[in-house]
Amino acid sequence: MDLATGLLHTAVLAGGVPALAALGEVLTERVGVINLGVEGLMALGAVTAVVTVVATLNPWLGLLAALGLGFAIGLVFALVTVQVRANQVLCGLALTLLGSGLAAAIGKPYSGTPVPALFGPLPLPYLSRIPVLGQALFSQNILVYVIYGMLPAGLHYLLFRTRHGLNLRAVGENPAAADAAGIPVQRIRFCYVAVGAALAAGSGAYLTLCFVPSWSEGVVAGRGWIAVALVIFAGYRPINAVLGALLFGVTTALGFLGQARNWPIAAPLLSMLPYLATLVLLIVPVAASPSLRRLMAAPAALGLGYFRDER
Amino acid sequence: MTYRFQRSATPPGSRVIAARGIAVVLALLTAGAVLRLTGAAPVALAREVITDTFGSSFALQDLALLVSPLILTGLSVSVALRVGAWNIGAEGQFNAGAVAATGVGLYVPGPPLVVLGLMLVAGIGGGILWVAGPALARAYAGVSELISTLLLNFVAGLLVYWLATGPWLEPSGRAIGTTARIVPEIPALWDEVHWGLAAAVIIAVSVSMLLTFTRWGYEIRLCGSNLQAAHYAGMPVRRHLITVMLLSGAIAGTAGMFEVAGTVHHLQGGISNNFGYLGIMVAVLARRSMLGVLAGALFMAVLLNSGIILSTRGVDVSTVLAVTGLVLLYTAIGDEIAHYRFVRAPEPAAARINEMSST
Amino acid sequence: MTAGTSPLDPPPPDPSSLVRLTGITKTFPGVIACRDVDLDVRRGEIHALLGENGAGKSTLMNILTGIYQPDAGDIWVDGRRRHFAAPVDAMGAGIGMVHQHFKLVQSFTVAENIHLGWERTPGRIRARDLAARTLELAHTVGLAVRPDARIDELSTGEQQRVEILRVLARRARVLILDEPTAVLSPLEAEELFKTLKRFVAQGNAVILISHKLGEVLGSADRITVLRGGLKISTTRAADSTAKALARLMVGHDIVRNALRVRGPSAARVASTPVLELRDVAVCDATGRPRLDRISVKLHGGEILGVAGVTGNGQKELSQALTGMLPVSAGNILLGGVDFTHRNAREFADFGVGHIPEDRLHSGLAPALSIIDNAALREYARAPLSRRGWYRPAQARALAESIAAAAEVRIADFDMPAANLSGGNQQRLVARREMRIATRVLIAAYPSRGLDVGAIDTTMRCLAQLRDAGVGVLLISEDLEELLTTCDRIAVMCRGALMGVADPESASIEEIGLLMAGQHATTTALPDLRG
Repeated sequence: MDLATGLLHTAVLAGGVPALAALGEVLTERVGVINLGVEGLMALGAVTAVVTVVATLNPWLGLLAALGLGFAIGLVFALVTVQVRANQVLCGLALTLLGSGLAAAIGKPYSGTPVPALFGPLPLPYLSRIPVLGQALFSQNILVYVIYGMLPAGLHYLLFRTRHGLNLRAVGENPAAADAAGIPVQRIRFCYVAVGAALAAGSGAYLTLCFVPSWSEGVVAGRGWIAVALVIFAGYRPINAVLGALLFGVTTALGFLGQARNWPIAAPLLSMLPYLATLVLLIVPVAASPSLRRLMAAPAALGLGYFRDER
Repeated sequence: MTYRFQRSATPPGSRVIAARGIAVVLALLTAGAVLRLTGAAPVALAREVITDTFGSSFALQDLALLVSPLILTGLSVSVALRVGAWNIGAEGQFNAGAVAATGVGLYVPGPPLVVLGLMLVAGIGGGILWVAGPALARAYAGVSELISTLLLNFVAGLLVYWLATGPWLEPSGRAIGTTARIVPEIPALWDEVHWGLAAAVIIAVSVSMLLTFTRWGYEIRLCGSNLQAAHYAGMPVRRHLITVMLLSGAIAGTAGMFEVAGTVHHLQGGISNNFGYLGIMVAVLARRSMLGVLAGALFMAVLLNSGIILSTRGVDVSTVLAVTGLVLLYTAIGDEIAHYRFVRAPEPAAARINEMSST
Repeated sequence: MTAGTSPLDPPPPDPSSLVRLTGITKTFPGVIACRDVDLDVRRGEIHALLGENGAGKSTLMNILTGIYQPDAGDIWVDGRRRHFAAPVDAMGAGIGMVHQHFKLVQSFTVAENIHLGWERTPGRIRARDLAARTLELAHTVGLAVRPDARIDELSTGEQQRVEILRVLARRARVLILDEPTAVLSPLEAEELFKTLKRFVAQGNAVILISHKLGEVLGSADRITVLRGGLKISTTRAADSTAKALARLMVGHDIVRNALRVRGPSAARVASTPVLELRDVAVCDATGRPRLDRISVKLHGGEILGVAGVTGNGQKELSQALTGMLPVSAGNILLGGVDFTHRNAREFADFGVGHIPEDRLHSGLAPALSIIDNAALREYARAPLSRRGWYRPAQARALAESIAAAAEVRIADFDMPAANLSGGNQQRLVARREMRIATRVLIAAYPSRGLDVGAIDTTMRCLAQLRDAGVGVLLISEDLEELLTTCDRIAVMCRGALMGVADPESASIEEIGLLMAGQHATTTALPDLRG
């Protein structure tokens, strides 16, 4: 694999982590709930996947366990933020702290041990023979194809081309209007908060089963927060989110490349690249073009609890 | 006769405090239950923790050394919240302040007290620098400061790590991952506890007085409460937002300088020790009172200290973070539940006004 | 207990009754909104629900549409008792409501809003299909809408049509309208009532919530009066007079004062204007023009009214006049001095008071204490501030004096302003502004949300200020109010001033035409340039 191909291959692989979490968070925020616990969910998903795979030697079970755990936690989070209507920002931060702490405690015995079974590469016939792109894009594992292809396309279709998607978006824009139109606001919020949390945990499983095939305490390294930032950058649209994740992946890959090639820049400095790049993505487009801000605006009722019976 | 829950827009303070007290107790009980499930004996551990935390002079000094940075990071987040901004970057600003102070401390020659003064200026400057970008982005482009300050936390952590293991590494080669000893020290107040603690309390009280007894403070409180009302009254909202966020960063940077010059005397990876994140918890507990920050900092210091003590008994240190998360979660729930009260529905009126006959 | 014998049993079912409410009671923290209310709505009728602000009309209808749950009482539709746990249940029973604050998603198009939450919307949607279906529906019902426009680009009248279309599309048989003509010009109101008459002629019913006597007498078949959460009476419109209804609404006779008549000690109208706008143009955040080269002069000692359908630039006018909104062209002069680029604080310091349209969101900080809110205008002046130091004790004294002057009893001045009732909040804000309004007072919809007694007091206070030589600008949607208090009435439409009317001689029809956008044609209307 030559330099460019290798870079792109790593970029795609690396970007998959925040991509999957961002797709989940797009759903959650589209129904008006902001879940800042993605970082904690990612950590829990990562450690769950490792523990499950070590016990069962089956990566699919690891992924499933992470998704299931995420879904369950998502339901509890929904209970607290949608039903009880506690402050969403605080609950999300709490989830991050709780999740990261628990994951570190659970993962201690597994720290550093390589994961015995991973998702292997699945080259696509014909497509994988294209020079450069074939190796980089079409010789990845199956999860990459799902995260970069099927999921964003499917979610885009759901959100913007179906009646259900219209109703879903209305819940995030104006829950009172949705309620008056007969849409089950609470039920939809519960559902998509849980699904979003499941995907966040799933991205943690992807992290330890496809990218860094082992667990250690700081392995998530802020990728959950990157995902949340990507959702904002993407204007709450699935396809944009995945593209943003790819950019993040490129900066990560550049960092690895620099270390491997012994560039004169020290390793910690190269590791700063992804965070700085995300920061630039977050600030520059909106600062440069005020009209873009309106186009990429958050769902109007994001972060606000809905009270039907309030004067 | 039916009973139901009724929500009021603003709950009385007493109910909120009661709800929080219950939240804290429940969180500790939950943690205890989980510990029991993993085989530890929570009651015995709790007793040991209490004796170890308050038992000896050394123990109290350790506690005091934890309280001081928590007061400042808690104040930092709290002050930003007053103007309506979430400064989650106190951790990074702490590190930036520590870096700047270390740089001055290691490489600027001069009499110790003068260099110490310069280190303080550098610490404040570092904190301000680290929050300036996000502050301007929020004020002029509406970019979420929560996310932008948080991303810079990771960058600052990596910066500290790089400096401590690279250019500023201890030259003798005896230690890994730490700089040489910084010579100028903050004078001691009581044995190991340095004047930073007193300074932190003074800063907290001063900020509190600024917000209550100055015109500027009134304007800040109003901007944080309702932006539209602030515009209506003609207040310079953008200027206030930026100023307060810079102040917030300066306070966090000062905390970093105190830690480096008073407690640790080296720059090393992990010097921020999660103080920035725990400061968020302090600010939430403090609930808009700068003096509440002092109480909250004390509570979090005890929690953090307990975690350190427990780690010597085999319980993982990361449980402190987990328990903090639990306290935060229960507090958030409690704050919302405090809005509700149990109420009896009224009887329908027995008598009615005479109806004019309808055809 | 055998049915039909006890007075507590509901009366036997009436075949012409479409919807019936019996014994409805609802309380909120600290206030009983509805107490044991009965209502009977028949097929083919327009039934008006009349009452002051706070009488319980909206609450009652929110219960009928499933938004609120009653504490006691029953709902009967077509003679069968129903329970509406959510709005979707009420919709299923054929009850639809057009709220005062429309339940529309601002960033969606008209077509998307129509098809929201509707089982008849196809599973897969395309903008073209939705637009076609919307036009079809609009044609069937007889309302004109633009399917592809975003809601936040529409006028309030157009938005209301979208709301009505949305409700009618769901096969509503009972259409509830909450204060519908507040946002319409007289002409649009006429069109609306034609639509409603067509609707009820098909055997449906309309419930019209209003506090406007004249309109109700002209359009309704039967009128139910609510007062203080109680049902007072139900009568046929043909059998009622305005005076009798007003008496029932308020509980005593109302005397409308001709406030225009001045006493002997009143200041005369000044010869030079205290506030002047010269060709002022204002654009909103997206660059759309909101004020279209307006020129107006306000003199001390007069009340200048501004009439017009809500949403035609009144909010921008009041904000430009108080320094809140930057002006893209033209000049604002206060006392002859150019204030065009000065901020709101400087306007207030000059002596311009501002009772804002949206007092809860602009005039107050609801989470802060009553004291902090009372100090909002004077916090930077002595005795509250000296050389940068702010004195909370002085602020408390100020708050107490404002509350006393406003006749609002407050138990705890440290409690958040949000805890006060809407009427009390309005009174405090008005009094706070009148204190600093030494030269000009801009009052935007000051009667909104107030009961008749409080409205009367407010108008008297405006007259007092006028008599002291202050120039008062009164923006209102109530033409009657303007006609009885103002010396001149300017009419706004689409951000421009259409003309100025003299209340002594102008008729409601003439003003209505101006509101609808037709320029002044006759010379009978005096020129507005002073």
